[in-house]
Amino acid sequence: MRILFAVIFSLVAQAACAGSALNVVATTASMGMLAREVGGAAVKVDVLAAPDRDPHMLQAKPSMMRALRDADLVVVVGAELEMGWLPAAINGAANPRLLPGRDGYFEAAAQVALLDAGQAADRAHGDVHPAGNPHVNLDPTRMAQIARALAERLSKLEPAQAAVFRAGAQRFATAVEQHVPGWRARAAGSPGGVLFHKDGNYLFALLGLPILGYVEPVPGVPPTASHLNSLTAKLKGQRGVILHHAYQPAQGPQLLASRLGWKTAVVPLEPAKNADAGAYFQLIDSWVAALAGAKG
Amino acid sequence: MFKRTLLAAALACAFPLGFPSPALAVSDADLAAEVAKIRAEFDQKLKDIQTAYEARLKEVESRQQAVAAAPAAPAARQDKLGQVGSGSSFNPQISVIFDGVYYNDNKKGGGVEAMEHIDGINHSHDHEGHDHAELERGFNLRETEIVMSATVSPYFDATLNLAVDSGGGVEIEEAYFDTRALPAGLKLRGGRFLSGVGYLNSQHPHSWDFVDQNLAYRTLLGDHGLKDTGVQLGWTPKTGSVYTLLGVELLQGNEQVFASAGEEIPDDVLPGVGGLKPKYAGPRLITAFAKFAPDLGDDHALRLGGWVAHGRQHQEVHDHRDENPLAKVNGLQGDSTLWGLEAVYKFDAPGAYGEGDLTLAAEYLWQRKDLEVAFHEDDPAAIGLGRKFTQDGAYLHAVYGFAPNWQAGLRYDITGMTSKVEREGAADVGYEASDRWTLAVTRRLTEFSLLRLQASSANLYKDGDKDRVNQFFLQYQHSLGAHGAHAF
Repeated sequence: MRILFAVIFSLVAQAACAGSALNVVATTASMGMLAREVGGAAVKVDVLAAPDRDPHMLQAKPSMMRALRDADLVVVVGAELEMGWLPAAINGAANPRLLPGRDGYFEAAAQVALLDAGQAADRAHGDVHPAGNPHVNLDPTRMAQIARALAERLSKLEPAQAAVFRAGAQRFATAVEQHVPGWRARAAGSPGGVLFHKDGNYLFALLGLPILGYVEPVPGVPPTASHLNSLTAKLKGQRGVILHHAYQPAQGPQLLASRLGWKTAVVPLEPAKNADAGAYFQLIDSWVAALAGAKG
Repeated sequence: MFKRTLLAAALACAFPLGFPSPALAVSDADLAAEVAKIRAEFDQKLKDIQTAYEARLKEVESRQQAVAAAPAAPAARQDKLGQVGSGSSFNPQISVIFDGVYYNDNKKGGGVEAMEHIDGINHSHDHEGHDHAELERGFNLRETEIVMSATVSPYFDATLNLAVDSGGGVEIEEAYFDTRALPAGLKLRGGRFLSGVGYLNSQHPHSWDFVDQNLAYRTLLGDHGLKDTGVQLGWTPKTGSVYTLLGVELLQGNEQVFASAGEEIPDDVLPGVGGLKPKYAGPRLITAFAKFAPDLGDDHALRLGGWVAHGRQHQEVHDHRDENPLAKVNGLQGDSTLWGLEAVYKFDAPGAYGEGDLTLAAEYLWQRKDLEVAFHEDDPAAIGLGRKFTQDGAYLHAVYGFAPNWQAGLRYDITGMTSKVEREGAADVGYEASDRWTLAVTRRLTEFSLLRLQASSANLYKDGDKDRVNQFFLQYQHSLGAHGAHAF
């Protein structure tokens, strides 16, 4: 009998503990970082996508459905970045709180103005995102705005902690403000670079640097020989650097680099799964360093 | 008129001292000085007003510029609900999937026909209004899938999936609603749908890794798998780190290979003995399934499952007069049960465009039809004798992304490892197993287009004789419009 009571007590205690923190599921590591920075101890954050995978190309896995099953809030990059897997994962989770339009669904891209919004929805141009470029996670200033909006959403779900959330967002925004001048100064004078995919655009805009081209002929299509030839012809004699992620095939960037006499740099799109703001700023540092390195 | 008087009165009040009284005597010089002074005052006031307005204008303009410079400046303490979507998403979302093959075999085009007549407990049914598998040597247009789906209300989603065959015949593959807002991990689906049993059963041909259906499904469930009209209740309970899905379905049991009621003896058969029962009220087919998936981290995913389907009324009519004019027609009825086990493993490699990804899937199906003779053309003694039909089948396939956007698939499928009829009052009948090896290479040009080359070699038994059937396919598939996410 005593054991039974003990078991019941521990179960109740567990339930109480589980109830004390908001269960947040983030699709990517940078969204997870943001949720942790804003939510602090009042949230428990799970991240669905491994940071070293292409967030466009994941598959809906049962483990994602399990995480979403118990979530109070899902924090999504959005603008159709996760459309190949997240709808199926949310559907499989049978958790009506997370349906788009409800309080449990937070989309980062919906909180800020997007680059390239309003393009023709024509797949002749590849796997385009007509809603705008979804890769807002590489823009620390937009991330600061998203943090503020996230603080409001978390406050709606857990009003008692509103002050904590707003303070968290403010702390992150202040840290970004302190970093931006340094990044700009360091990158100033860089000739810019070639991206593999249209994902560094926001950071280039923040630093005021030109994007000299893309290794992909159109978004979502692997590089072709003819496209690399035309890129070479266009960029011959210029300076720059070719940036790509570890998961993107290195052959195209390396071929282009050897023809142009440039360097390639492998930069991450996402920080580690349990990253804090510091790790995120280091990620931006690594992009800035790669671009500054092209000054020669 | 009244208004004008009012105005005059108001003006008089406003400028009581504006018009000096003519009664006062003043000199010309005084007047001139007075006029000059008033003019100067007036000019000064005008100038003051102008500068004040200009300052205000400038200030507003600079504020406007500031707003324009920071168009995304957040309105304080606000966040936006919902999602950013492309302008291309209509309501309902529509997609069309185009599918065509070049086909050839070593049987002068008889390969598909041979698949239909494999020895076993289920003979080819005439039920399926059109035959999906009918292929000519050369170019073939396969079924074109038209999918529409939308959210009906805060409470329901609905999906329609039409298959249009090359002759223009349209079939409702699926037409169902799903609940959106049930609590406690519950979901209800109703209408016509592909059953949630097994791994491949709920997949449409455009998400298959091979051109054609595996032999186990084909012989035990039919070419399209188990698809029927009814309701499905799914439950995703909270089970810690393990994903669990439990489901139960109540289905009509119409025109399934192993659950078919309302069969009739052909009109031209001599009045024999006995007869088939009328159709029971539905649901006549009940299924239950369970799927479990442990959390194996980012790289690996594994899902295991098991299911059972029970048909409480199954009837079949055996009429072999086409092959043998002396054959006697008989009818059987009873119930049927199908058991299934499934395992799916996926490895997600860090490579782009699916490079290095691996999928392994295997299923085992076991079917029993527990029937008795209900009608016989000329043998009264046969009525009531038991006939137990048993057959099983399995497949195992592996699909590996050997280069960006390239996949190689290998499949082994077999049906009839156990395949027998236990006959009361007569000797049992057994059948040989038919099996096949298939190799498929898929090139995904983009997410929306693919080309697939598939070659297979099968050992098929027909009337106890082994026959080797080699088939060759070159397939294209394109999908247009909204492209939904694929389930695990």
